[in-house]
Amino acid sequence: MIQAVVKRVKSIPEAFEKASGHSGPLYYLAGGTDLVCKAKDRLLPPALWLDISGIEELTGIKDEGDSIHIGSLVTHTALSEHPLIKKYAPALSDAASQVGSPQIRNRGTIGGNSGNASPAGDCVTALYTLDTTIHLECPAGPRSLPLEKFFTGPGKTVCKEKEIITGFSFPKKEGARGCFLKLGQRKTLAISKVSLALSCTLEVGRLHDVKIALGAVAPTVIHAPRCEEMLAGKELNDSLIAESGTLIQTESCPIDDLRSTEGYRCKMTGVLMERALKKVALWK
Amino acid sequence: MLSEKVKVSFILNGSPVEVEVPSHHTLLEVLRERLNLTGTKEGCGKGECGACTVLMNGEPVCSCMLMITQVEGAEILTIEGLGDLENPHPIQRAFMENGAIQCGFCTPGFIMTAYALLMKNPNPDRKQIKEALSGNICRCTGYMKIEEAVMNAAREVK
Ligand SMILES: Cc1cc2nc3c(=O)[nH]c(=O)nc-3n(C[C@H](O)[C@H](O)[C@H](O)COP(=O)(O)OP(=O)(O)OC[C@H]3O[C@@H](n4cnc5c(N)ncnc54)[C@H](O)[C@@H]3O)c2cc1C
Ligand code: FES
Ligand code: FES
Repeated sequence: MIQAVVKRVKSIPEAFEKASGHSGPLYYLAGGTDLVCKAKDRLLPPALWLDISGIEELTGIKDEGDSIHIGSLVTHTALSEHPLIKKYAPALSDAASQVGSPQIRNRGTIGGNSGNASPAGDCVTALYTLDTTIHLECPAGPRSLPLEKFFTGPGKTVCKEKEIITGFSFPKKEGARGCFLKLGQRKTLAISKVSLALSCTLEVGRLHDVKIALGAVAPTVIHAPRCEEMLAGKELNDSLIAESGTLIQTESCPIDDLRSTEGYRCKMTGVLMERALKKVALWK
Repeated sequence: MLSEKVKVSFILNGSPVEVEVPSHHTLLEVLRERLNLTGTKEGCGKGECGACTVLMNGEPVCSCMLMITQVEGAEILTIEGLGDLENPHPIQRAFMENGAIQCGFCTPGFIMTAYALLMKNPNPDRKQIKEALSGNICRCTGYMKIEEAVMNAAREVK
Protein backbone atom coordinates (compact mmCIF):
# COMPACT_ATOMS: atom_id res chain seq x y z
CA MET A 1 0.00 0.00 0.00
CA ILE A 2 1.14 3.50 -0.76
CA GLN A 3 1.59 5.49 2.44
CA ALA A 4 0.65 8.98 1.43
CA VAL A 5 -1.96 11.66 1.46
CA VAL A 6 -2.18 13.00 -2.07
CA LYS A 7 -3.45 16.50 -2.78
CA ARG A 8 -3.90 17.94 -6.22
CA VAL A 9 -2.78 21.54 -6.69
CA LYS A 10 -3.52 23.79 -9.66
CA SER A 11 -0.80 26.42 -9.36
CA ILE A 12 2.65 26.98 -7.89
CA PRO A 13 1.33 29.39 -5.20
CA GLU A 14 -1.25 26.80 -4.19
CA ALA A 15 1.51 24.17 -3.96
CA PHE A 16 3.57 26.43 -1.68
CA GLU A 17 0.53 27.25 0.44
CA LYS A 18 -0.21 23.56 1.00
CA ALA A 19 3.48 22.79 1.53
CA SER A 20 4.04 25.52 4.10
CA GLY A 21 1.15 24.34 6.24
CA HIS A 22 2.75 20.89 6.45
CA SER A 23 5.57 19.54 8.56
CA GLY A 24 7.11 16.18 7.75
CA PRO A 25 8.12 14.53 4.51
CA LEU A 26 6.75 16.04 1.31
CA TYR A 27 7.06 14.94 -2.30
CA TYR A 28 5.89 16.51 -5.51
CA LEU A 29 4.08 14.08 -7.80
CA ALA A 30 4.57 14.68 -11.54
CA GLY A 31 4.17 11.57 -13.73
CA GLY A 32 4.60 9.29 -10.73
CA THR A 33 6.61 6.67 -12.62
CA ASP A 34 9.45 6.89 -10.09
CA LEU A 35 7.60 8.03 -6.99
CA VAL A 36 4.84 5.40 -7.12
CA CYS A 37 7.42 2.67 -7.76
CA LYS A 38 9.49 3.76 -4.77
CA ALA A 39 6.43 3.99 -2.53
CA LYS A 40 5.33 0.49 -3.52
CA ASP A 41 8.85 -0.78 -2.78
CA ARG A 42 8.52 0.85 0.67
CA LEU A 43 11.49 3.10 0.05
CA LEU A 44 9.64 6.25 1.15
CA PRO A 45 8.38 7.38 4.55
CA PRO A 46 4.66 8.16 4.91
CA ALA A 47 4.35 11.58 3.36
CA LEU A 48 2.26 14.33 1.85
CA TRP A 49 2.34 14.16 -1.94
CA LEU A 50 1.41 17.31 -3.80
CA ASP A 51 0.11 16.30 -7.21
CA ILE A 52 1.49 18.99 -9.52
CA SER A 53 0.55 17.15 -12.73
CA GLY A 54 -2.26 19.63 -13.46
CA ILE A 55 -0.22 22.85 -13.15
CA GLU A 56 -0.61 24.50 -16.54
CA GLU A 57 2.43 26.80 -16.27
CA LEU A 58 4.79 23.83 -15.93
CA THR A 59 3.82 22.45 -19.34
CA GLY A 60 4.88 23.22 -22.89
CA ILE A 61 7.95 23.64 -25.07
CA LYS A 62 8.62 27.23 -26.15
CA ASP A 63 10.92 28.98 -28.59
CA GLU A 64 12.27 31.99 -26.68
CA GLY A 65 14.36 33.44 -29.49
CA ASP A 66 17.90 32.51 -28.50
CA SER A 67 16.89 29.54 -26.45
CA ILE A 68 14.35 26.75 -26.06
CA HIS A 69 12.38 26.41 -22.82
CA ILE A 70 10.96 23.08 -21.67
CA GLY A 71 8.40 23.00 -18.85
CA SER A 72 9.17 20.44 -16.15
CA LEU A 73 5.93 18.51 -16.84
CA VAL A 74 6.78 17.85 -20.49
CA THR A 75 6.58 14.09 -21.05
CA HIS A 76 9.12 11.86 -22.78
CA THR A 77 6.59 11.27 -25.57
CA ALA A 78 6.27 15.02 -26.19
CA LEU A 79 10.06 15.47 -26.14
CA SER A 80 10.59 12.69 -28.63
CA GLU A 81 8.02 14.09 -31.08
CA HIS A 82 8.35 17.86 -30.79
CA PRO A 83 9.84 19.55 -33.91
CA LEU A 84 11.82 22.14 -31.88
CA ILE A 85 13.49 19.41 -29.83
CA LYS A 86 14.22 17.31 -32.90
CA LYS A 87 15.80 20.32 -34.59
CA TYR A 88 17.77 21.91 -31.76
CA ALA A 89 18.29 18.98 -29.39
CA PRO A 90 18.38 15.74 -31.39
CA ALA A 91 20.24 13.99 -28.55
CA LEU A 92 17.35 14.81 -26.20
CA SER A 93 14.57 13.63 -28.51
CA ASP A 94 16.62 10.48 -29.14
CA ALA A 95 17.03 9.87 -25.39
CA ALA A 96 13.36 10.52 -24.61
CA SER A 97 12.29 8.08 -27.32
CA GLN A 98 14.26 5.31 -25.59
CA VAL A 99 12.93 5.75 -22.05
CA GLY A 100 11.05 2.76 -20.61
CA SER A 101 8.06 1.89 -22.78
CA PRO A 102 5.32 3.83 -24.57
CA GLN A 103 3.19 3.78 -21.40
CA ILE A 104 6.07 5.12 -19.27
CA ARG A 105 6.94 7.77 -21.86
CA ASN A 106 3.33 8.98 -21.88
CA ARG A 107 3.49 9.79 -18.16
CA GLY A 108 7.16 10.21 -17.17
CA THR A 109 8.36 13.81 -17.26
CA ILE A 110 11.66 15.58 -17.78
CA GLY A 111 11.27 17.24 -14.36
CA GLY A 112 10.82 13.85 -12.72
CA ASN A 113 13.83 12.44 -14.56
CA SER A 114 15.89 15.22 -12.94
CA GLY A 115 14.13 15.10 -9.57
CA ASN A 116 14.88 11.40 -9.41
CA ALA A 117 18.59 12.23 -9.92
CA SER A 118 19.55 8.77 -11.12
CA PRO A 119 23.01 8.70 -12.74
CA ALA A 120 21.28 6.54 -15.38
CA GLY A 121 18.58 9.14 -16.19
CA ASP A 122 18.39 9.15 -19.96
CA CYS A 123 17.04 12.66 -20.49
CA VAL A 124 19.41 14.11 -17.91
CA THR A 125 22.34 12.56 -19.78
CA ALA A 126 21.17 14.23 -23.00
CA LEU A 127 20.53 17.57 -21.25
CA TYR A 128 24.19 17.59 -20.12
CA THR A 129 25.23 18.02 -23.75
CA LEU A 130 23.07 21.10 -24.33
CA ASP A 131 24.48 23.70 -21.88
CA THR A 132 21.22 23.36 -20.00
CA THR A 133 20.02 25.71 -17.29
CA ILE A 134 17.57 24.31 -14.75
CA HIS A 135 14.92 26.64 -13.34
CA LEU A 136 13.68 26.22 -9.79
CA GLU A 137 11.21 28.02 -7.58
CA CYS A 138 10.72 27.93 -3.84
CA PRO A 139 8.48 30.09 -1.62
CA ALA A 140 11.35 32.62 -1.33
CA GLY A 141 11.53 33.06 -5.11
CA PRO A 142 12.91 31.57 -8.32
CA ARG A 143 16.53 30.71 -9.17
CA SER A 144 18.36 29.19 -12.13
CA LEU A 145 21.61 27.24 -12.27
CA PRO A 146 23.66 25.17 -14.69
CA LEU A 147 22.23 21.65 -14.72
CA GLU A 148 25.63 20.20 -13.75
CA LYS A 149 25.44 22.09 -10.43
CA PHE A 150 22.05 20.60 -9.61
CA PHE A 151 23.15 17.00 -9.01
CA THR A 152 25.39 16.02 -6.10
CA GLY A 153 25.13 12.22 -6.07
CA PRO A 154 22.84 9.27 -6.77
CA GLY A 155 19.34 10.49 -5.85
CA LYS A 156 20.81 13.72 -4.46
CA THR A 157 20.34 17.27 -5.67
CA VAL A 158 20.67 20.81 -4.34
CA CYS A 159 16.87 21.14 -4.43
CA LYS A 160 15.74 22.86 -1.24
CA GLU A 161 12.80 21.64 0.74
CA LYS A 162 9.58 22.60 -1.04
CA GLU A 163 11.47 23.76 -4.13
CA ILE A 164 9.80 22.96 -7.46
CA ILE A 165 11.65 22.33 -10.70
CA THR A 166 9.82 24.64 -13.10
CA GLY A 167 11.73 23.95 -16.31
CA PHE A 168 14.88 23.80 -18.39
CA SER A 169 16.35 25.98 -21.10
CA PHE A 170 19.20 25.63 -23.52
CA PRO A 171 20.70 27.89 -26.21
CA LYS A 172 19.68 27.26 -29.82
CA LYS A 173 22.43 26.19 -32.22
CA GLU A 174 21.75 26.06 -35.95
CA GLY A 175 22.71 22.78 -37.59
CA ALA A 176 22.68 20.85 -34.32
CA ARG A 177 23.46 17.16 -34.61
CA GLY A 178 23.50 14.57 -31.91
CA CYS A 179 22.33 11.27 -30.62
CA PHE A 180 21.83 9.19 -27.51
CA LEU A 181 22.90 5.56 -27.20
CA LYS A 182 22.35 3.20 -24.32
CA LEU A 183 23.03 -0.38 -23.43
CA GLY A 184 20.68 -2.26 -21.16
CA GLN A 185 19.51 -5.79 -20.49
CA ARG A 186 17.08 -5.49 -23.38
CA LYS A 187 15.70 -2.81 -25.67
CA THR A 188 12.59 -1.77 -23.78
CA LEU A 189 12.04 -1.37 -20.06
CA ALA A 190 15.66 -1.62 -19.03
CA ILE A 191 17.62 0.90 -17.00
CA SER A 192 20.85 1.89 -18.75
CA LYS A 193 24.04 0.03 -17.83
CA VAL A 194 25.96 2.63 -19.69
CA SER A 195 24.75 5.46 -21.91
CA LEU A 196 26.27 8.22 -23.97
CA ALA A 197 24.87 11.44 -25.35
CA LEU A 198 26.61 13.52 -27.99
CA SER A 199 25.69 16.97 -29.29
CA CYS A 200 27.73 18.92 -31.82
CA THR A 201 27.68 20.87 -35.05
CA LEU A 202 29.59 19.98 -38.19
CA GLU A 203 30.99 22.65 -40.50
CA VAL A 204 32.77 21.66 -43.69
CA GLY A 205 33.54 18.27 -42.23
CA ARG A 206 34.86 19.61 -38.92
CA LEU A 207 33.32 19.08 -35.50
CA HIS A 208 32.35 22.07 -33.34
CA ASP A 209 30.47 22.64 -30.08
CA VAL A 210 31.23 19.06 -29.07
CA LYS A 211 29.55 18.01 -25.82
CA ILE A 212 29.63 14.45 -24.57
CA ALA A 213 27.94 13.02 -21.48
CA LEU A 214 28.08 9.58 -19.94
CA GLY A 215 25.26 8.04 -17.90
CA ALA A 216 25.37 5.21 -15.35
CA VAL A 217 29.16 5.18 -15.02
CA ALA A 218 29.59 7.49 -12.00
CA PRO A 219 27.53 8.77 -9.04
CA THR A 220 26.04 11.44 -11.31
CA VAL A 221 25.93 11.89 -15.07
CA ILE A 222 29.38 13.17 -16.12
CA HIS A 223 31.00 14.99 -19.03
CA ALA A 224 33.87 13.57 -21.04
CA PRO A 225 36.03 16.73 -21.12
CA ARG A 226 39.18 15.17 -22.65
CA CYS A 227 37.22 13.81 -25.58
CA GLU A 228 35.24 17.03 -25.98
CA GLU A 229 38.49 18.98 -26.20
CA MET A 230 40.28 16.49 -28.42
CA LEU A 231 37.44 16.43 -30.96
CA ALA A 232 36.84 20.19 -31.15
CA GLY A 233 37.64 21.62 -34.57
CA LYS A 234 38.86 18.27 -35.94
CA GLU A 235 37.95 16.68 -39.22
CA LEU A 236 35.52 13.83 -38.62
CA ASN A 237 37.14 10.71 -40.09
CA ASP A 238 37.77 7.07 -39.20
CA SER A 239 41.03 7.60 -37.37
CA LEU A 240 39.54 10.37 -35.24
CA ILE A 241 36.60 8.11 -34.38
CA ALA A 242 38.96 5.31 -33.29
CA GLU A 243 41.07 7.73 -31.24
CA SER A 244 37.99 9.03 -29.40
CA GLY A 245 36.89 5.48 -28.59
CA THR A 246 40.18 4.87 -26.79
CA LEU A 247 40.41 8.25 -25.09
CA ILE A 248 36.92 8.19 -23.61
CA GLN A 249 37.78 5.08 -21.62
CA THR A 250 40.13 7.22 -19.53
CA GLU A 251 37.40 9.68 -18.58
CA SER A 252 34.95 7.71 -16.53
CA CYS A 253 35.20 6.19 -13.12
CA PRO A 254 32.67 3.41 -13.65
CA ILE A 255 30.92 1.64 -10.84
CA ASP A 256 30.29 -2.04 -10.16
CA ASP A 257 26.66 -2.64 -9.34
CA LEU A 258 23.91 -5.19 -9.82
CA ARG A 259 23.42 -4.21 -13.43
CA SER A 260 27.01 -4.45 -14.62
CA THR A 261 30.74 -4.39 -13.87
CA GLU A 262 33.29 -1.62 -14.02
CA GLY A 263 35.35 -3.27 -16.77
CA TYR A 264 32.37 -3.81 -19.06
CA ARG A 265 31.12 -0.26 -18.59
CA CYS A 266 34.52 1.21 -19.33
CA LYS A 267 34.97 -0.71 -22.59
CA MET A 268 31.42 0.08 -23.67
CA THR A 269 31.92 3.84 -23.32
CA GLY A 270 34.48 3.42 -26.12
CA VAL A 271 32.07 1.43 -28.28
CA LEU A 272 29.26 3.95 -27.77
CA MET A 273 31.57 6.90 -28.50
CA GLU A 274 32.55 5.42 -31.85
CA ARG A 275 28.95 4.56 -32.75
CA ALA A 276 27.78 8.05 -31.84
CA LEU A 277 30.36 9.76 -34.05
CA LYS A 278 29.51 7.41 -36.92
CA LYS A 279 25.84 8.37 -36.56
CA VAL A 280 26.73 12.04 -36.66
CA ALA A 281 28.93 11.49 -39.73
CA LEU A 282 26.05 9.84 -41.59
CA TRP A 283 23.54 12.57 -40.55
CA LYS A 284 20.62 13.07 -42.90
CA MET B 1 -3.61 11.07 8.12
CA LEU B 2 -3.20 8.17 5.74
CA SER B 3 -6.83 7.55 4.91
CA GLU B 4 -7.81 11.02 3.78
CA LYS B 5 -10.44 10.83 1.05
CA VAL B 6 -10.66 12.82 -2.16
CA LYS B 7 -13.45 13.42 -4.64
CA VAL B 8 -12.37 12.92 -8.22
CA SER B 9 -14.48 13.43 -11.36
CA PHE B 10 -13.56 12.06 -14.73
CA ILE B 11 -15.04 10.53 -17.87
CA LEU B 12 -15.01 6.75 -17.76
CA ASN B 13 -15.85 4.87 -20.94
CA GLY B 14 -17.82 7.83 -22.21
CA SER B 15 -19.83 8.62 -19.06
CA PRO B 16 -19.01 11.11 -16.31
CA VAL B 17 -18.25 9.53 -12.93
CA GLU B 18 -17.41 10.90 -9.52
CA VAL B 19 -15.67 8.78 -6.90
CA GLU B 20 -14.79 9.50 -3.29
CA VAL B 21 -11.84 7.31 -2.37
CA PRO B 22 -8.69 7.34 -0.22
CA SER B 23 -6.25 9.73 -1.88
CA HIS B 24 -3.46 7.16 -1.94
CA HIS B 25 -5.38 4.86 -4.29
CA THR B 26 -4.26 4.24 -7.83
CA LEU B 27 -6.66 4.35 -10.75
CA LEU B 28 -6.24 0.57 -11.03
CA GLU B 29 -7.45 0.05 -7.45
CA VAL B 30 -10.42 2.34 -8.01
CA LEU B 31 -11.40 0.60 -11.25
CA ARG B 32 -11.19 -2.89 -9.84
CA GLU B 33 -12.24 -2.44 -6.23
CA ARG B 34 -14.69 0.48 -6.33
CA LEU B 35 -16.17 0.38 -9.77
CA ASN B 36 -16.06 -3.40 -10.24
CA LEU B 37 -14.39 -3.04 -13.61
CA THR B 38 -12.12 -6.07 -13.31
CA GLY B 39 -11.19 -6.29 -16.99
CA THR B 40 -8.07 -4.24 -16.28
CA LYS B 41 -5.49 -6.54 -14.68
CA GLU B 42 -2.70 -6.05 -12.18
CA GLY B 43 0.52 -7.86 -13.06
CA CYS B 44 3.71 -6.31 -11.74
CA GLY B 45 2.15 -3.19 -10.22
CA LYS B 46 5.24 -1.21 -11.23
CA GLY B 47 4.95 -0.14 -14.83
CA GLU B 48 6.81 -3.07 -16.33
CA CYS B 49 4.22 -5.46 -17.77
CA GLY B 50 1.42 -3.35 -19.26
CA ALA B 51 -1.38 -5.65 -17.99
CA CYS B 52 -3.01 -2.62 -16.36
CA THR B 53 -2.96 -0.45 -19.50
CA VAL B 54 -5.90 1.91 -19.98
CA LEU B 55 -6.17 4.94 -22.23
CA MET B 56 -5.96 8.37 -20.67
CA ASN B 57 -7.00 11.07 -23.12
CA GLY B 58 -6.33 8.57 -25.90
CA GLU B 59 -2.83 7.55 -24.79
CA PRO B 60 -1.90 4.20 -23.22
CA VAL B 61 -0.79 4.55 -19.60
CA CYS B 62 -0.19 2.14 -16.72
CA SER B 63 -3.15 2.48 -14.35
CA CYS B 64 -1.08 0.83 -11.59
CA MET B 65 1.16 3.91 -11.46
CA LEU B 66 -1.49 6.56 -11.86
CA MET B 67 -2.69 8.10 -8.60
CA ILE B 68 -6.41 8.75 -8.61
CA THR B 69 -5.91 12.51 -8.12
CA GLN B 70 -4.09 12.62 -11.45
CA VAL B 71 -7.18 11.44 -13.27
CA GLU B 72 -9.26 14.53 -12.39
CA GLY B 73 -10.97 15.78 -15.55
CA ALA B 74 -9.41 13.13 -17.79
CA GLU B 75 -11.03 10.77 -20.26
CA ILE B 76 -10.36 7.16 -19.31
CA LEU B 77 -11.11 4.23 -21.56
CA THR B 78 -10.91 0.66 -20.26
CA ILE B 79 -11.44 -2.67 -21.98
CA GLU B 80 -15.08 -2.59 -20.81
CA GLY B 81 -15.56 0.56 -22.89
CA LEU B 82 -14.42 -1.14 -26.10
CA GLY B 83 -16.86 -4.01 -26.38
CA ASP B 84 -18.40 -6.99 -24.61
CA LEU B 85 -19.20 -10.63 -25.24
CA GLU B 86 -22.24 -9.81 -27.39
CA ASN B 87 -20.59 -6.97 -29.24
CA PRO B 88 -16.84 -7.39 -29.25
CA HIS B 89 -14.71 -4.70 -30.84
CA PRO B 90 -12.96 -5.80 -34.07
CA ILE B 91 -9.65 -5.86 -32.17
CA GLN B 92 -11.14 -8.12 -29.51
CA ARG B 93 -12.53 -10.40 -32.22
CA ALA B 94 -9.20 -10.47 -34.04
CA PHE B 95 -7.43 -11.55 -30.82
CA MET B 96 -9.87 -14.42 -30.41
CA GLU B 97 -9.80 -15.48 -34.05
CA ASN B 98 -6.01 -15.39 -34.33
CA GLY B 99 -5.29 -17.38 -31.19
CA ALA B 100 -3.64 -14.32 -29.66
CA ILE B 101 -5.08 -15.27 -26.27
CA GLN B 102 -3.96 -18.14 -24.10
CA CYS B 103 -4.33 -17.48 -20.38
CA GLY B 104 -5.75 -14.06 -21.26
CA PHE B 105 -4.19 -12.12 -18.40
CA CYS B 106 -2.23 -9.78 -20.65
CA THR B 107 -5.00 -9.47 -23.25
CA PRO B 108 -6.93 -6.38 -22.06
CA GLY B 109 -3.66 -4.44 -21.81
CA PHE B 110 -2.56 -5.49 -25.30
CA ILE B 111 -5.95 -4.66 -26.77
CA MET B 112 -6.00 -1.18 -25.23
CA THR B 113 -2.49 -0.47 -26.50
CA ALA B 114 -3.39 -1.80 -29.95
CA TYR B 115 -6.54 0.32 -29.98
CA ALA B 116 -4.52 3.48 -29.24
CA LEU B 117 -2.13 2.57 -32.05
CA LEU B 118 -4.89 2.00 -34.62
CA MET B 119 -6.63 5.25 -33.68
CA LYS B 120 -3.43 7.14 -34.52
CA ASN B 121 -2.13 4.98 -37.31
CA PRO B 122 -4.71 2.84 -39.12
CA ASN B 123 -2.03 1.28 -41.35
CA PRO B 124 0.79 0.18 -39.06
CA ASP B 125 3.55 -2.07 -40.34
CA ARG B 126 4.94 -4.90 -38.24
CA LYS B 127 7.76 -2.76 -36.87
CA GLN B 128 5.36 -0.06 -35.73
CA ILE B 129 3.13 -2.68 -34.10
CA LYS B 130 6.11 -4.16 -32.25
CA GLU B 131 7.22 -0.73 -31.07
CA ALA B 132 3.70 0.23 -29.92
CA LEU B 133 3.28 -3.05 -28.01
CA SER B 134 6.79 -3.01 -26.50
CA GLY B 135 5.48 -2.03 -23.05
CA ASN B 136 3.19 -5.07 -22.84
CA ILE B 137 4.46 -8.46 -21.77
CA CYS B 138 2.88 -11.81 -22.61
CA ARG B 139 4.18 -14.99 -21.02
CA CYS B 140 2.12 -17.37 -23.17
CA THR B 141 1.73 -16.55 -26.84
CA GLY B 142 5.20 -15.63 -28.05
CA TYR B 143 3.87 -12.37 -29.57
CA MET B 144 3.61 -13.53 -33.23
CA LYS B 145 -0.12 -14.19 -32.98
CA ILE B 146 -0.69 -10.92 -31.17
CA GLU B 147 1.05 -9.03 -33.96
CA GLU B 148 -1.00 -10.90 -36.54
CA ALA B 149 -4.21 -10.12 -34.67
CA VAL B 150 -3.37 -6.42 -34.75
CA MET B 151 -2.53 -6.58 -38.46
CA ASN B 152 -5.87 -8.27 -39.16
CA ALA B 153 -7.79 -5.91 -36.90
CA ALA B 154 -6.24 -2.97 -38.76
CA ARG B 155 -7.71 -4.30 -42.00
CA GLU B 156 -11.14 -4.60 -40.40
CA VAL B 157 -11.16 -1.30 -38.52
CA LYS B 158 -10.45 0.60 -41.75
C1 LIG C 1 9.08 0.49 -15.95
C2 LIG C 1 9.92 1.73 -15.87
C3 LIG C 1 10.93 1.95 -16.82
C4 LIG C 1 11.73 3.09 -16.75
N1 LIG C 1 12.68 3.27 -17.71
C5 LIG C 1 13.46 4.37 -17.67
C6 LIG C 1 14.46 4.59 -18.67
O1 LIG C 1 14.63 3.79 -19.60
N2 LIG C 1 15.22 5.70 -18.58
C7 LIG C 1 15.06 6.63 -17.57
O2 LIG C 1 15.78 7.61 -17.55
N3 LIG C 1 14.13 6.44 -16.61
C8 LIG C 1 13.33 5.34 -16.64
N4 LIG C 1 12.38 5.16 -15.67
C9 LIG C 1 12.27 6.12 -14.57
C10 LIG C 1 11.21 7.23 -14.75
O3 LIG C 1 10.18 6.83 -15.60
C11 LIG C 1 11.79 8.53 -15.27
O4 LIG C 1 12.83 8.96 -14.45
C12 LIG C 1 10.73 9.65 -15.38
O5 LIG C 1 11.25 10.69 -16.15
C13 LIG C 1 10.31 10.18 -14.04
O6 LIG C 1 9.37 11.21 -14.25
P1 LIG C 1 8.00 11.30 -13.43
O7 LIG C 1 7.32 12.53 -13.86
O8 LIG C 1 7.24 10.04 -13.54
O9 LIG C 1 8.58 11.46 -11.95
P2 LIG C 1 7.86 11.30 -10.54
O10 LIG C 1 7.81 9.88 -10.17
O11 LIG C 1 6.60 12.08 -10.48
O12 LIG C 1 8.96 12.05 -9.65
C14 LIG C 1 10.28 11.56 -9.51
C15 LIG C 1 10.99 12.37 -8.40
O13 LIG C 1 11.19 13.71 -8.81
C16 LIG C 1 10.47 14.61 -7.97
N5 LIG C 1 9.86 15.59 -8.87
C17 LIG C 1 9.14 15.33 -10.00
N6 LIG C 1 8.80 16.47 -10.61
C18 LIG C 1 9.29 17.48 -9.85
C19 LIG C 1 9.24 18.92 -9.95
N7 LIG C 1 8.67 19.53 -10.99
N8 LIG C 1 9.84 19.64 -8.98
C20 LIG C 1 10.47 19.03 -7.93
N9 LIG C 1 10.53 17.69 -7.79
C21 LIG C 1 9.96 16.93 -8.73
C22 LIG C 1 9.46 13.77 -7.23
O14 LIG C 1 9.14 14.31 -5.98
C23 LIG C 1 10.19 12.45 -7.11
O15 LIG C 1 11.09 12.48 -6.05
C24 LIG C 1 11.54 4.03 -15.70
C25 LIG C 1 10.53 3.82 -14.76
C26 LIG C 1 9.73 2.69 -14.83
C27 LIG C 1 8.65 2.47 -13.82
S1 FES D 1 0.53 -3.97 -13.50
FE1 FES D 1 0.85 -2.01 -14.27
S2 FES D 1 2.47 -2.33 -15.61
FE2 FES D 1 2.35 -4.25 -14.64
S1 FES E 1 -1.95 -14.90 -22.90
FE1 FES E 1 -1.07 -15.45 -21.01
S2 FES E 1 0.22 -13.75 -20.59
FE2 FES E 1 -0.44 -13.36 -22.56
